Amino acid sequence: MALTLRGRTISKGRATGEALVCRQPIGFNFGVDVANGVITEYGHELFGRSIKDKVLLFPHGKGSTGGSYVVYQLARSKTGPVAIINVTTETIIAVGAIMGGIPVVDQLEKDPYGLISDGDTVTVDATRGLVTIEKKAGERS
Amino acid sequence: MKLSDDEKRMRDGEQGESVRMAMEILAALGEIYGAERLIPIRSAHVAGLSLKSHGLAGAQWAEDMASGGARVRIPTTMNVIGVDRSRDLKLPGDWVRDQMRIERAYECMGCYGTSTCVPYYCGFVPRFRESIAWAESSAVVFTNSVLGARDNREGGPSALAAGLTGRTPLYGLHLEENRRGDVLFRVSAPLRSTADYGAMGSYVGRMIGTRIPVFEGISSPDTEDLVYLGAALASSGGVAIFHAVGVTPEAPTREAAFGGRKYEVAEISEKEIAEGRRKLTSAKDRKVDYVAIGCPHYSLNQLRKAAGLLEGRRVHPGTVLWVHTNAAIRNMAAQLGYVQMIEAAGGIVTQDLCTVLGNPEALGFRTLATDSPKMAFYAPGSNGFQVWYGSTEECIETAVKGAWPSADV
Repeated sequence: MALTLRGRTISKGRATGEALVCRQPIGFNFGVDVANGVITEYGHELFGRSIKDKVLLFPHGKGSTGGSYVVYQLARSKTGPVAIINVTTETIIAVGAIMGGIPVVDQLEKDPYGLISDGDTVTVDATRGLVTIEKKAGERS
Repeated sequence: MKLSDDEKRMRDGEQGESVRMAMEILAALGEIYGAERLIPIRSAHVAGLSLKSHGLAGAQWAEDMASGGARVRIPTTMNVIGVDRSRDLKLPGDWVRDQMRIERAYECMGCYGTSTCVPYYCGFVPRFRESIAWAESSAVVFTNSVLGARDNREGGPSALAAGLTGRTPLYGLHLEENRRGDVLFRVSAPLRSTADYGAMGSYVGRMIGTRIPVFEGISSPDTEDLVYLGAALASSGGVAIFHAVGVTPEAPTREAAFGGRKYEVAEISEKEIAEGRRKLTSAKDRKVDYVAIGCPHYSLNQLRKAAGLLEGRRVHPGTVLWVHTNAAIRNMAAQLGYVQMIEAAGGIVTQDLCTVLGNPEALGFRTLATDSPKMAFYAPGSNGFQVWYGSTEECIETAVKGAWPSADV
């Protein structure tokens, strides 16, 4: 059974992908390899993992405001997430995602960390502010 | 957030994709910060134009925007960049090429190629209580504090979005109630030089966070003193506005500066100035191979002073002296002979660029002396330099002798 949650539209658009859940803030400038979407910040919980084609759940952005341009470049070279869910979006992610056309929602009506796991199929319809979660086979929400 | 009919048309793409994207950026920022509407503005200042900030990703974005037909609809000035367009400073060729891609893209969008962090020295002077959308933290703090204009700490893309739409979200420092002071600094220290103002700004910036400082006891500062105080507050801290009682327009009295709010009180004695100075100094080696002054860009007054200090002297053969300003002020200083005085002594008066956003580190320098509290703060991280911070006199003395004059900080 799919579960649908309402959130706040930050950057419009609609995309479906496999969920990648991250509990730490992400700094995009000097923190992600634009060539392949791999997180390069040493010691980060996603260090060495790729965010390419994922629906990426993380609390918010951090670090240099130049990160907006990196989010744009990830979108343009198709090495970034297909959609983003934040706890609360700040300006680096909001601006970069709008520049690159990546759908973003934040402030979901329920805590997404309790409901979304790695590998779930998640649809972000940011234009309507809706997130739909289909649990990975063998799991129940 | 409520949008007017005209703004809705922009959001819906009736004026093209770039204006649609700009409206989406402004609407998202408005949502995040709880703005109820957008307000019209008559000037914007775009920053983060250095290749160090944009990267190749940002250069590509700016070119895509320009070739997609993006054009600003209000006067939009451009911040300092990482090259001097008037001469070959021997910076790496690919650096110059990629920096100029960014410069050209913004000029294609109709921005003024002012390439300066001090547009208010070049005829762009917002009036009292005028809302603007300027990026460049030192210009934000100057326009808010000294001119009494209203500006949030914009980033590069949000300032461009404001330029493309003529709008900015109504929140933060555009609202009267958010502009009042939080902490009173009673200044008992004698402020002998612009560098003392910078040291005070560095001390206060580090301890105040994003609260608003009010200074009492600053008697008759030069405009340049306030520029350097603000640049220090905005780099060592996140300050976007300060007040100085009897000096800045929203603080005719202490009561007006705080507007009836409760406030903390702190003292600025010589001890705090010395601490501010010490925090900006990271060098141990007194031998200095690079002296850079003019961050924020020098005014004509400051160029004349530097020229006078160099009269009849020569820059040390083991040391390079760069004096940063913009094309407008450099041209006037050349008319008046100050550029020739500095360059006859072996210095270089640059235009457009600054040390922090350029890459003089590519020329192999190791130890910097500067009179800029902003450059002293950023250069260790941005350029990898060890830094001596002090007055213009100390910096010129260092350029001539090749060594910092005193090991005491």
